[in-house]
Amino acid sequence: MISDVFTFLVGGKAGEGVKKAGSVAAHIFSNMGRQVFQMDDYMSLIRGGHNFSVVSTSSRRITSQYMKANLVVNFDKRSCDTHINDIADGGIVIFNSDEQKGVDGIGIPLSSEAEKYPMKKLMYGVGAVAILSSTIGLSKDQMNQNIKNQYPRGIEDNIKFAGSIYDMVKVGCQNRFPLERGDKERKILTGNESISLGALAGGLNVYYGYPMTPASSILHFLAKQAENFGLAVVHPESEIAVINMAIGSAFTGARSMVGTSGGGFALMTEGFSLAGITETPLLCVLSMRPGPATGVPTYTEQADLMFALSAGHGDFLRIVSSPGTVEEAYYLTAEMLDLVWKFQTPGILLTEKHLSESSMTVDIDIHNAKWAEMKKHNEGKYKRYLDTNDGVSPLLFPPSNEVIKCNSYEHDEYGITTEDAHVIAKMHEKRNKKVDALLEYLKDKKTVNIIRGEHPTNIFAYGSTYLSVLEALRYGKLNPTTIQPIFLSPLPTWELKEFKNQDNIVVEQSISGQFTKLLTEKAGLKVKQTIKRYDGRPFDPIELSQQIKEVLK
Amino acid sequence: MGFETNAEITWCPGCGNFGIRTAFQNAVLELEKKGVKREDIIISSGIGCHAKIFDYINLSGIYGLHGRNSSNAEGVKIANPDLKVITFSGDGNGLGEGLAHTIYAAKRNQDITLVLHNNNVYALTTGQFSSLTPPGWRGPSTPRGSFEIPFNAISLMIEVGATFVARSYAGDIKHLTETLIKAVEHKGFSFIEVLQPAMPYHKWEEYKDKIENLNEEPKSKEESFKIAHNAHRFTIGIFHQEIREVYHKSLYGDLNPVKNSISRKIRLEKINEILKY
Repeated sequence: MISDVFTFLVGGKAGEGVKKAGSVAAHIFSNMGRQVFQMDDYMSLIRGGHNFSVVSTSSRRITSQYMKANLVVNFDKRSCDTHINDIADGGIVIFNSDEQKGVDGIGIPLSSEAEKYPMKKLMYGVGAVAILSSTIGLSKDQMNQNIKNQYPRGIEDNIKFAGSIYDMVKVGCQNRFPLERGDKERKILTGNESISLGALAGGLNVYYGYPMTPASSILHFLAKQAENFGLAVVHPESEIAVINMAIGSAFTGARSMVGTSGGGFALMTEGFSLAGITETPLLCVLSMRPGPATGVPTYTEQADLMFALSAGHGDFLRIVSSPGTVEEAYYLTAEMLDLVWKFQTPGILLTEKHLSESSMTVDIDIHNAKWAEMKKHNEGKYKRYLDTNDGVSPLLFPPSNEVIKCNSYEHDEYGITTEDAHVIAKMHEKRNKKVDALLEYLKDKKTVNIIRGEHPTNIFAYGSTYLSVLEALRYGKLNPTTIQPIFLSPLPTWELKEFKNQDNIVVEQSISGQFTKLLTEKAGLKVKQTIKRYDGRPFDPIELSQQIKEVLK
Repeated sequence: MGFETNAEITWCPGCGNFGIRTAFQNAVLELEKKGVKREDIIISSGIGCHAKIFDYINLSGIYGLHGRNSSNAEGVKIANPDLKVITFSGDGNGLGEGLAHTIYAAKRNQDITLVLHNNNVYALTTGQFSSLTPPGWRGPSTPRGSFEIPFNAISLMIEVGATFVARSYAGDIKHLTETLIKAVEHKGFSFIEVLQPAMPYHKWEEYKDKIENLNEEPKSKEESFKIAHNAHRFTIGIFHQEIREVYHKSLYGDLNPVKNSISRKIRLEKINEILKY
């Protein structure tokens, strides 16, 4: 038993309310002032299959799900079989006795009980909430209040159904897992919600997205908030249209963002390059899932790093960064919006399914978000591509009496097409000045998170893998120094110098070790070993702490 | 203020594109007389001979990628619906590489104008057959003659939802100017196919004798479609006009996302509201 963590796992078919039950559990815990990490594992289908939600909670900060659960609720046989090894010491399994007999655990006639109500199978999730409520010692009143708040449809039936399940579990299991209260109630956010809010805080005006897991929920969240925030949120015919529309919008001064996953981003790269030569401020959220090609749509990986770093044909400045926590996703999205406008170049906020779609209790200081600022043209004759000391030309937007020409061909300072050797070289040099300007700007900004430890070995991770590492170290009571580069292009080599010849371990989710390559090639780091996972699943803190321990030996 | 830029004009002498440029400039002058402000006019183009018009007319806009110009135009309009957006396209650019974008701009009734320079050929890339080339074209990619059937651009655009569909001719500046004015004034997606010879590949004579005016005024979409379908491909005139809610109005009503951008302070208050426990 992991003494300070309680984990609830619920599994069943898609359409039975598995994910909802997980999120209600997360709310129950956060209502108690506890912190929560929820990971949903689901297949690429609408009905059937096997889905599960795993919610780990603690009275301290928690940054990962644990795959050893104290309470496992299985709606069907497949869930029982799948999670047979996911039970913590002293944990209990509650299964649907209408689906199977003779298995270890406590059988509850979930199906026959649900059959009594018109919603039938849709109520299984409510049953799971009742089981959780009973085992963690909530009163029926407390449970009913949660159900009322979280399941607005069919409240009376739900409460009646939950009551009978609660009583069935009571015998022997009531208050089996008493949970202490935490310090304060916190909001629960997914990574994608945090990214969306960060973009809104940074000044977002338009969002374009073509549905693709795991980025779609940004499109959905912003579409829902469009009226509230005065946004245009559009789902066009393809990712190619997405990025070209965003470039059109940015031309008018609109802060534009697009979001997708690897395959969609592959289609966007032509437009990404267009943003490079036209010096269009454009932010793209790239949420990685296992590739190549269609890969595994609803799972996680970090194998698009090299692709992101070199996306688009031709030489131009690309800014790539990756948030390590759900909170950081908020600040970093706003900061990236600011950076792409400051330096008039495309940027990528690189993340993964594990961060995009997992939920956490968060402490966010919303006022700490940057606001997208830009260099503006004041008066006089306008040249869209005026050569300047830092390579950044002042911006002007239509309507204006001055002519603003934005050009995909190599162009002169006015934006008129050129094939002149001197002008071609000069414009390359102009755009290239922005590389140094950005480096100079970032030098005194926070570009890396370092937590100093006592062990002489250092651990490097980026993106959501950082969350897994933090939890693994907490679980294993290990204290190496952990380093999470927030920026991947430019890689903050000035911050990494001190680790160059030390003992370094990298943890990442890519079979070829793309992040390791980046660190060794760009920062000259010596890497002793890379701990990799590439089965689509995020690291489990218990397993990962074992792996880290072995390397630290 | 003139329309000239410092760009060197590299269209072939006698190219139909000169006629399109002249007619467009005339149309802008006429529209200005009618109260349209020149600074509100934004142009975009794809890549090909048609697209060079971007460099040769001193108006603001985006010289985009091959086939993607109507998406740029849509993005401009969505962010700032006060702007009048005209996008220029070639037959290969707009109905080959950019077919999906052209069709979807019409489907959405995006309030922009698309001018399709139809020279029946990929001119700039040395004469390959295009989406509108009749079978039998001996180009470098089809040395034994092309054998695909061409699209009928007019009936296609009526079918997919364009609310103003016309054909004009680069050799009839008056007709083209008038059609351009009507297209820009039309509220909704307006499409003009402009017949234009490309000098190395065609002769003006091939067009002159065949051009004929559309004498009918179709009463319904079905009738428009039928006429467009059966008409001679040198028939010029307005084939279809209808009124349908424009895209940006359906999307956000009277909002202008750029002009009405919400302040940081109000945004943070709204975010605070969302994050309230």
